[in-house]
This record gives sequence, C-alpha cells and structure tokens, in this order.
Amino acid sequence: MGRLLLLRTSKGLLTIFVSITITFFILRFMPADPISILIDPKMGPEVQAQMIRRFGLDKSVPEQYFIFLKGLVTGDLGLSFKNQQPVIEIIMQKLPWTLLLLFVVVVLSLLVGIPIGVLAARKQGKFADKLINFMVTLGISVFLPFLAFGFLYIFAYYFKLFPTGGAYTPPPKQGLAYYLDVAKHAVLPSLTLFCSHVASVVLYTRNSMIDVFNEDYIRTAYSKGLNEPMVIRYHALKNAMIPTITVTGLMIGTMVGGAVMTETIFAWPGVGRLIYDSVSAMDYPVLQGAFLILAVSVVVMNIITDLVIAWLDPRIKLGG
Amino acid sequence: MSRLIEFKNYSMGFRDEDGRVHNLLDNICFSIEEGTAVGIVGESGCGKSMTSLSIMGLLPPSVVIQGGEILYKGTDLLKKSKTEMQEIRGKEIAMIFQEPMTALNPVHTIGFQIGEALKIHFPDTSKEDIQKAVIKQLELVGIPNPEARAMQYPHQFSGGMRQRAMIAMALICQPKLLIADEATTALDVTIQAQVLDLMKRLKESGSLMVVTHNLGVVAELCDEVVVMYAGRVVERGSLEAILDHPLHPYTKGLMAAIPTMTSGDEELYTIPGSVPNIENFEKGCRFSPRCEYCLDKCKDDVPPTKQVDDRHYVQCWLTFDGEGADYDNNNS
Repeated sequence: MGRLLLLRTSKGLLTIFVSITITFFILRFMPADPISILIDPKMGPEVQAQMIRRFGLDKSVPEQYFIFLKGLVTGDLGLSFKNQQPVIEIIMQKLPWTLLLLFVVVVLSLLVGIPIGVLAARKQGKFADKLINFMVTLGISVFLPFLAFGFLYIFAYYFKLFPTGGAYTPPPKQGLAYYLDVAKHAVLPSLTLFCSHVASVVLYTRNSMIDVFNEDYIRTAYSKGLNEPMVIRYHALKNAMIPTITVTGLMIGTMVGGAVMTETIFAWPGVGRLIYDSVSAMDYPVLQGAFLILAVSVVVMNIITDLVIAWLDPRIKLGG
Repeated sequence: MSRLIEFKNYSMGFRDEDGRVHNLLDNICFSIEEGTAVGIVGESGCGKSMTSLSIMGLLPPSVVIQGGEILYKGTDLLKKSKTEMQEIRGKEIAMIFQEPMTALNPVHTIGFQIGEALKIHFPDTSKEDIQKAVIKQLELVGIPNPEARAMQYPHQFSGGMRQRAMIAMALICQPKLLIADEATTALDVTIQAQVLDLMKRLKESGSLMVVTHNLGVVAELCDEVVVMYAGRVVERGSLEAILDHPLHPYTKGLMAAIPTMTSGDEELYTIPGSVPNIENFEKGCRFSPRCEYCLDKCKDDVPPTKQVDDRHYVQCWLTFDGEGADYDNNNS
C-alpha cells in the first residue's frame, strides 16, 4: 500500500513536470511579444533594458526554462509581468475564491444529483425518468456563458435579486454581514456551474444504478427480505457510486484551475478569472503558476479518487 | 403431514413490448409436504425458475399473473402485500440462486451478507449474537476457519465456497422451505457432492424444493418429482414412480437420455427438437411437435391431467394402465 502510494506519487510528479514544461514552451511560442506589453515606451532605454533583464527576457528560451525550473524547486514561481508581485502571492489570493465556489458546487451537485439519479434509475423508462433525462441532456449540452447571461438577465437585471458580479460589495463589510454579502454574490456563479455538474452526477448515478439493479446480488438481497430502500442503501449505492466518484474527482481537479468563462462573466476573483486576465496581459509567470496549480490538483484528486474507490470496492487493488 | 406449499391452477405469462401477454406457466398444480424434498425438472426454458421466483414473489416486472393460487400454510402468497412478503422472504422461505459468482455482493464481507437476514427479521439480536450465528452457519456448511473467513469478501472465496456461503445465508433464519435453483450446476463434481450432502441434512429441519435439470441430483435428494415442459406440469409423482415407471413421452425421453453404467458405445437417446419459444407454443399439447406418439387431438386440445396411481399424475392424451377417471385440476 505504502509502496503503491509512492509509485502513484512519483508518476504524478512526472505528469506535473510534463504539463508545466508543455505550458512553458507553448507560452514562449505564442506569436506575441510580452516585452511590447511590459515596456512602457515612455521609459528610458536603460530602464527598459533593466526591466528586460529583471524578468530574464534577455536570455534564450532554454536558459529561461532552466531558470524557471530552478525557481520551481525552491518554491519561487517568479514575478508577475503585470504588477511585479510574486506569482505565488497572486495565486494564493485568488485560490480561496475558486475553492469556495468549487466546494459549494461539488457539495450541492452530489447532494442533489445522487438522489435524482437514483430516482431516475428506479423509474427507468417512466415519465419521471424521461423528464430527468431531458433535463440532464440540457444541462450537459448547454453553453455555460449562455446560461450565465441568462441567469444574469433574469435574477440580477430583471428581478434584481442578486448582484451582477464580483465577490463582495466594496468596501468589504465586517463580520456576518461580509459573509452574507459574499454568499449573495456567490449564488449566480455557483448556480451556473451547478447546472452542468449536477447533470453529469445525475447521468453517471442513473446509468450505474440501472446496471447495478440488474445484478444477481440485488435479487439475492431481496430474497433475504430486505425492502427497496434497504436494498438501495446497502447493496446498490456503494457499487453504483464508483463512476460518480470518478467523475466528481476529475471535476474537482479541473475546477481548481477555475471555471474560466463563468468566473470571468461574473467577475469572480478566482483562478479562472486570473487565467483570463493573464492571457490578455501575456503575463507568462502567472499563467505558468496557474497551470501548475491545475496540474497539481488534477494529479492529487486522481490519487484521492483512486484511494476512495479502492476503499469502496475491495476487489480493486491499487496498482500501476 | 401437512402441505407447506400448494400450487393451485397457477398461471402466469409475460407482457411483450406491444402489450400482448404470452402465457408461460399454465395451470400449475403440485404441492410440497412438510419435511420432504420435491424436485422440479425439465429442460432450460420450461419455466422452472419462474415457478420458484413465483413463490418468492420476485418475478421480473414484465410478468403478469393470470390466475390460480400459491398457498403457503393455507394462505395465498399472491394476495400478500409487499411488507408481508418481506416478512416471509428469508425468514420462512429462502432461496439459493444459480450463480454463486454473481449472487453475492462484491463490496460487502461474507459475514455481513450472511448476518443480514438475521438482522432484519430479528432486529433485537445483538451484534455479538449475529456474529456468533454467522460463524456457526459457516462452520455448519463446512467452511474452515470461519472467524477469519467471515471477514473476507466474495472475491477471496472459491466458487464452491461461495455457494456454501449462499447456503449459509439462506439457512441463517432456519426457513421452513428452501428453494435451490440449480444450486449445484456451476460447481465441479466433488464440490457438488459436498453441497448435496449439505442439502440432504436440511430435510431434517424443513422442506426442500430443488430446481434442476440434473436428474442425478433429483435421485439423490428428492422424495417427489415434478416434470415440467414448456410451462406445464406434464407428470408428477414419487421418485420411484417417475424414475422407474415414467409414463409421459417427455419423461420417458428424459430418462432414456441419461447415461448409465451399462450403456455401451451406442449413441444416447435424444429427444428430437428443442423447447419452443414462448411465442410459438402449440394450442394443444405443447410437447406434441416433438412427441413420437402424437395423436391428432394432441395438436388441438390441451390434454387432461390423469391420476394413474395414489400420487402419480400425468397430463397426456395417451391411455395408461391404472388410469382412473380424468383428474380434474380443480380438486387438487
């Protein structure tokens, strides 16, 4: 078990290394010049040269890559081109906002999605199932920005129930009022992300539940005199949860990198919005940092998902 | 002796996608006395499993019950509510299924699955007592080192051990009737013999209904035999009557198809053709297309059930020795 975990971790580190390397070179090969954005033409030539040296942009790409790797090992992700703040600091400012959104969306999707998925499976082929299937297809296929603007129009503009953007009304209030204010701002972005995530939770739960209902051991459970709620709770759910957990793990992993479009539309100060802003500003170090966080979270979530599944299903051994 | 289970003109069928109902079990009549073992035999697709699932009330959703009664200790199981059936299942009537590989839940320990029935039917039992009962059951079915085995998962058990665990699971509440649906089919012969021994011992405490197409198993275990063909009981009687004096052409064919110690190099007898599909059942005798004694009326009219001996009944148009007046299905 310990050895396997070590193996998984080293594999994960390799994945992260490959991912950040690709990110580094893709950014460098973009047909744009960050210097032109970085440098204010009004600066004197000496100041300009100093800036370029400071960010290492005078060196060749391979040299820059090794400087980047060296910094990475010591936990230094460099400085932002845009406001010359350490990248770590910027990301750590944004990450809690993304995690807040993620936590709300994941918890709600599971709490709502699993019971609906179970219901659809129980009513397979009946009206309730057909209705749920229709909603799920809609939820999975809808273009998120469209949904976001729809919610904005209905709830923020027409009914004026929720604010149109941001995470709180500046200046930040104190104590409980602040939390309530944040909660109010979080409703619409959470709702948008919830719609698509709950749809996949319902879909995976329903499909695996239907498979499990047809298993011989479900009939065995009924033959012992269990009633339907007991059969579902003790014999079906645990088996059927495996695909749902896998998809939730993947979802969490990618969502740490922020929901770029949703966060941007709602001006939510998370990692997704940071990525959007950094792409516009050609802020390479910040982008590298954000993609590093994304890679790390995907790898970590994969390992956690595997552990949870191995705990649920004793047949699965943690192997390569 | 009193009757534990009695099928009275029980009929059921399947509803297809167009809403038409196809009859499978047609006027099934037979009974199981307390403390005896009854074997249900016939080829695959004869409705044997549907007969046992009917007792359990675990029929698939497409099934339509078309009439008759299944009496358990004198009350009709078909009229019982969902909760009443849950009370009976596992406690009064238990069932062992065909597939030991898939009939156990892979994510729960063997011990949990065996103890579960006890936990539902006797909720006052303490955890320790359930654990003790589980270990005792495992010991009873001959699983070595039961304490450790109870903590293991099905994938850590071999096929024979899983089937024994299934038996332990079915027996934990000491049911009055045990239904074994092809319980030995998936096992190799040495394990089969052990499981048969185990089931033989069961007759001391309750009745047994053995669903099988293995006549060897029937000869080993049963007191009475019910021969089914395409959803009808074509012949039933004591083990001796059926094995030594089969009357129905189908039963005769079945007996002739068993290899014996004396059979030489000559080819074994086979009944020509195969069991018809539910949509192609004959109007008259369902066996008529494969029957070498087929008469004209066999094709058009359902044959009567005739009593030929004390407890020996046969459903056929042919004339037999000792045949009394046509036995009326309604007076069983």
